[in-house]
Amino acid sequence: MKFKRHILAGLSVLILGGVLCAAGQEQTKLADSSASSADADTVPSPSIASSKAVHEAAAARYEGEKRYRANCGRCHMAPHKYPPRMMATIERHMRVRATLTEEDVKYIVRYMTE
Amino acid sequence: MSARPRGRSFFPLRCRIFLLGVLLIFSGVGILHAQDLPDIPKPVPVIVGGSGFITEIQGGQPLLGPLIAPVLLVPIGDKWLIESRVTFEANLVQLPGSSAFHGQVLKSIDYAQVDYIANPYITVTVGRFLTPFGIFNERLYPIWIRNLQTDPLILPIGVGPSQASTGAMVRGGIKATSKININYTAYFSALSTYQPSNVTALDSDRLAGFRAGIFIPDQRIEIGGSFQRLLQDERSNLFGFHGGWQPQALPLELRGEYMRSARGSGYWIEPAYRLTEVPFWQYAMRRTQLVARLQQYWVGAIPSDILPSVNTREFEFGVNYYFRDGLRAVSSYGRQFSSAGNMNIWTIGLTYRFAFPLGHGDVN
Repeated sequence: MKFKRHILAGLSVLILGGVLCAAGQEQTKLADSSASSADADTVPSPSIASSKAVHEAAAARYEGEKRYRANCGRCHMAPHKYPPRMMATIERHMRVRATLTEEDVKYIVRYMTE
Repeated sequence: MSARPRGRSFFPLRCRIFLLGVLLIFSGVGILHAQDLPDIPKPVPVIVGGSGFITEIQGGQPLLGPLIAPVLLVPIGDKWLIESRVTFEANLVQLPGSSAFHGQVLKSIDYAQVDYIANPYITVTVGRFLTPFGIFNERLYPIWIRNLQTDPLILPIGVGPSQASTGAMVRGGIKATSKININYTAYFSALSTYQPSNVTALDSDRLAGFRAGIFIPDQRIEIGGSFQRLLQDERSNLFGFHGGWQPQALPLELRGEYMRSARGSGYWIEPAYRLTEVPFWQYAMRRTQLVARLQQYWVGAIPSDILPSVNTREFEFGVNYYFRDGLRAVSSYGRQFSSAGNMNIWTIGLTYRFAFPLGHGDVN
């Protein structure tokens, strides 16, 4: 009976690990496929491309600020901006400490280092 | 010296299964196409942390508490981080018949851990780490973060003798849907009775546990639960719940925790309101924060040295003023009610957060 419980505990850990690994692969595949489909689109003219880039930068800044306020504000007042390489270290620390998602970290670092 | 019985491993079977699971997850990392982080600048070693000077008057007895707690962060490559927090503090009290304050500097290594970011969903930590039971110990404890400078009554529940564990931990944050993030932590701690001569104890209990939570970024709502099995002494189970809400429409923070164990149970609820919307004296008001904490503690079946010995209720109210980012004045008044005697608790002080790079390298 005791042995069975140990086996069940071991299996649970393995299943959790398997699910997380599978989720990781799936996410990467999705990111790759969306990137390749974007590449397959027709090449836009320089003016359209530049306005698209500006729009994307503004959207990323908005998203970064939103995530920064939502995630950092869970525990403390929003800190001011530090130099980029310091910010990268602090965000790596916060990723571990506050279990932030990788996507949140990317957006927040980008926003905080602009 | 006692000899280990023949045929018995140093680690029991459960522990071995847990470590095997961690190892398998860890080794599964090679299969993954871990996402690179090309848009994140190369990190540099940094020292961050908090310092402060808090005066506390508890039941008429004044206590002066200067404190500095630097956190060393050393990133290695794209996936590793070595981090450690050391606290230097003094509890200065008046000796009978003397108006001067006396005390000695206490040094403690709060945590010293190595983190490996295995993939977007798993980070493996080994070493001495803050026990992730509830959220206060891990996330709200630093002097520059906490809204009220006194500890919640239930803080010692589930965090071990020196609020840290020695062992291994797996944790991560996962974007479950476009609106919900999930976070989890699973850990195992070995028994440690290590007592160096020049710092406070580096001891830890033998325990295993996990914490899981969900965070809804749009609503800024976080809820979660913790479970822990104490693998020594009375071998009991502990559990707790935590929650937090920062509504978009108001400059309000609301946090709370509930914990239950064989040695005691209790809860705390803490609302904090920033006066940014007050229409007068705006320069001062937008820097002012009002805080309150309501908490209650019930003794358990098993006595504990680090928890109150009788049922206790406490209410605290505080006012914090932010001079500028990282520097603030804090003050609070609280009243504690218990059968051991009611008392007032006053605190007043300054807290400061700092961050600077280690060395003279390029930080841009």
